Amino acid sequence: MAKSLLIISRQAPWNGPSAREALDIALAGGAFDLPLGMLFLDDGVFQLAPDQQPAAVQQKNLAANLQALPMFGVEELFACSHSLTRRGLAPDTLALPVQVLDDAALSALIARFDQVVTL
Amino acid sequence: MKFAIAVFSPAHAPSSRRALRYAEAVLAGGHEIARLFFYQDGVHSASTNVVAPQDEVDVAAQWRAFIDSNQLDAVVCIAAALRRGVLDEAEANRYQRPAVNLPKPWELSGLGQLHEAAQVADRLVCFGGD
Amino acid sequence: MTTLHVIAHSPFGDERLASCLRLLGTDDALLLCGDAVYALRSDSEPHHLLQAAHLTGRLYALEEDVQARAVDNDLAKAVDYAGFVELSLHYDKVNSWL
Repeated sequence: MAKSLLIISRQAPWNGPSAREALDIALAGGAFDLPLGMLFLDDGVFQLAPDQQPAAVQQKNLAANLQALPMFGVEELFACSHSLTRRGLAPDTLALPVQVLDDAALSALIARFDQVVTL
Repeated sequence: MKFAIAVFSPAHAPSSRRALRYAEAVLAGGHEIARLFFYQDGVHSASTNVVAPQDEVDVAAQWRAFIDSNQLDAVVCIAAALRRGVLDEAEANRYQRPAVNLPKPWELSGLGQLHEAAQVADRLVCFGGD
Repeated sequence: MTTLHVIAHSPFGDERLASCLRLLGTDDALLLCGDAVYALRSDSEPHHLLQAAHLTGRLYALEEDVQARAVDNDLAKAVDYAGFVELSLHYDKVNSWL
């Protein structure tokens, strides 16, 4: 059976290619039909903020790629409740349907996956 | 046991050297390295154009020697490399760039190679940071 | 499944250590290397954090980084690279906070 991989994305979307390159790992794995999950943690939750206008800084729309995740077979999407609260992001306003998890649930989530990479 | 090792830092970052020392310890411990994968700024660790000052450790050269002498599979992510100007001959020709800084033993390939390595390895270990 | 978490960034002005400690499972371990070993400086804020996290027997530090930085480590078990490799196998997976 294929090993499951949890990608923890903790970079804000417009500080360089990091957020996109984390997403690319997920999209590439999804294309191979691997069991993948993606967790948005720390500044990574800013990727989920609604109504962003990346064109203002000449960037491509990351949200469009994020929304493609389920189509690539990456259906397990999570966000850290603590990170959202600290940043004033309300779970019901996010640009992507994610499960919002508290710390205990996040511990259990990380334990459940075969491999984890945080970037 | 089989290890997949992914490097996310350039040769001048402490974590590139740390990854190399770790990889050496993996082999010294009688284990196997399924693949080395270089992603994000880690693609700079593969650049043959790094010139380290004479009295400093040349981590890029040490990576090359380590991969050569142990005949390891060393893959550099092509999308990350193009973005950062790390090109093999084929890509330099394709995009009409004057410099080639990625000769053998490195291979340019896609992120699928990272997933494949992670699938066959017992452990995926990533290196980045200070 | 258990996880060996690895942090290589300074704990000062960086969220990695705090986030890691929040998510750390009871059977997980933490290995500090690079500038992350500054967290072991006695009387420092992160040292208090680490003490409060009850990591006895599951907090490690890469010896060369402790030595290079002259950190008076009384909290973490020092390991060399061979020890780092062994730890990677002892735990079910390795999660590096890149």
